[in-house]
Amino acid sequence: MPSDLDSQIAQLSRCEPISEAQVKTLCIKAREILIEEGNVQVVDSPVTICGDIHGQFFDLMELFAVGGWCPETNYLFMGDFVDRGFYSVETFLLLLALKVRYPDRMTLIRGNHESRQITQVYGFYDECQRKYGSSNVWRWCCEVFDYLALGAIVDGRVFCVHGGLSPSLASIDQIRAIERKQEVPHEGPMCDLLWSDPDDTITGWGLSPRGAGFLFGADITKNFAHHNALDLIARAHQLAMEGYKLMFDRMIVTVWSAPNYCYRCGNVASILELDEHLGQEYKVFSHAPMDVRSIPTKRPPPEYFL
Amino acid sequence: MFPPPSTDADSSIRSTDSDAALAKLSAVQKQYLRDPYIQYFVPRSHLHAARPPLINIGTYVRTAAIDDLVNQWLSLSHDEGKQCQIVSLGAGSDTRYWRIAAGPQKDALSTYIEIDFPEITSKKAMAIRKNKQLGAVFGNPANVKVSGGGAALHASKYHLLPADLRLSPQETLGPLLAQVSEPLLSSSLPTLLLFECVLVYMSPTSSSSLLKWFLHYFSQSGDNGLLGTIVYEMFGLEDSFGRVMVDNLKARNISLPGAEPYPTVESLPTRFTSIGYTAARALTLRDIRLQYIDRAELNRISTLEFLDEVEELDLVLNHYAITWGLWHPKTQTKALWGMWGLKT
Repeated sequence: MPSDLDSQIAQLSRCEPISEAQVKTLCIKAREILIEEGNVQVVDSPVTICGDIHGQFFDLMELFAVGGWCPETNYLFMGDFVDRGFYSVETFLLLLALKVRYPDRMTLIRGNHESRQITQVYGFYDECQRKYGSSNVWRWCCEVFDYLALGAIVDGRVFCVHGGLSPSLASIDQIRAIERKQEVPHEGPMCDLLWSDPDDTITGWGLSPRGAGFLFGADITKNFAHHNALDLIARAHQLAMEGYKLMFDRMIVTVWSAPNYCYRCGNVASILELDEHLGQEYKVFSHAPMDVRSIPTKRPPPEYFL
Repeated sequence: MFPPPSTDADSSIRSTDSDAALAKLSAVQKQYLRDPYIQYFVPRSHLHAARPPLINIGTYVRTAAIDDLVNQWLSLSHDEGKQCQIVSLGAGSDTRYWRIAAGPQKDALSTYIEIDFPEITSKKAMAIRKNKQLGAVFGNPANVKVSGGGAALHASKYHLLPADLRLSPQETLGPLLAQVSEPLLSSSLPTLLLFECVLVYMSPTSSSSLLKWFLHYFSQSGDNGLLGTIVYEMFGLEDSFGRVMVDNLKARNISLPGAEPYPTVESLPTRFTSIGYTAARALTLRDIRLQYIDRAELNRISTLEFLDEVEELDLVLNHYAITWGLWHPKTQTKALWGMWGLKT
């Protein structure tokens, strides 16, 4: 099978979707691997941590050009692989194929967009319908989403999660006890991990303007880090115009890996390389050239108020 | 859903009206806004997919804020014991006249004038004549007269007129609005000009002479009229977001020469103050959303759709602003009209 998988990886790397039957097999294999992973996947350094990708396939290729190819580089992607961009199908399936091919060199954790409800609003569902003529691929991918880990911990010192913390979760062990294999709930600890945001204008917990998850202040962050003996919390979920944003005395960092987000925002992106001593290096990169390949010819143009 | 890229820059600018109408329709369908009329101006309105939540929210904020300013204008006029006039320039498929005419403040309105490219006014005139609900506000159908080869339409209070606003206002607006015998536009009434995403497509020179023409019309008449103007459009296009916007719109053959003099929100009121307006103020849609929209309304719209991305919303809304300017004659007491503006 590896040779089949290798040829699928090669095909997906050219931004060519694989067949519906191949997607089905890939998703079944992926689920077999993911079901064995804990809610908080244990990862060893060195590792390269990446934030939101959002279907920006050619920008993911820029990311690999900067960070190195898998399996040479050990990767951890903190969710939001799909939606918004033009190539959610190719992006997610490539990352998933790499996960199945090199399970110990590719860690994928769940973002708030890896959900049935959100993908029906923000593009992945429509893209699957368009590219495969049915919702089968979307359905199989959503079943994989349900098995993705909720977080990861690098060398026991760096906690990685898509969104942030939850008022219902004081320790990483409590995260391990969540029953994760389900659609992302509208509220509760699992929802919070995928939806919350740090906020430097509050202390304690605040209501999130996103309508899900919470805002949390420096005090919450430092308490959680102290209680769980963490050096750093790495998360994604929020656009950072400079590619990353350190907050709360460098206790938490937002890593954002979708340059010129939505082909509209004009931001740069970054990845965080943690070396074997957990030293941090942020590598900033820009979007792929806007040539004929990166934007489909019948694309809807980015939206503005006109 | 989107027009193909065109080589004709004018038709590209005209195509922006479809964007605005579809955005409005989407916000109505998703229950952000109430507007029973917009569906009649969008062909095959039931077939259009909803716009993304960010666009719906922005459309809501823009509409709510401009509605507020217009409603204040109507009630201030009423308080002064006068009827007012509204002139909507580059009006496109806007439904404001119908919403006012069917609303509680209809008696405060003396005249409502809409001006746009003839290609757009012809379509609008056709829609008005073909649609009962749109025609109903004019009463007896015999009151509605079409002229200008179908590009103009006149009813008792409502006038739809074709013009290219980039041309010299003396030659275009003069004959349309200011005919000596019986001018459509009175110079003695409180008059509000609306420019929603219009001036940005024109050169700063053209838009400035347009504004000056209206100011002159009121300030030189000695008739004690009063002029207010609302401009809504993008600004601050010199940062990375703005440069991407300029590039993306270039791909649709749309350029934004009118944004050039306005790199910051502070620079926006100079559009008015530099030509002699009494007062002016500008607010970004971001600030309006955060501070000027009623809390209960904000809570209501936050439940309509999941907004996944607040940073992106803020980034986009920070590049659009509503600027309003007021000119009143020296004899006018400032107390009443000085209250006109968005309030927290």
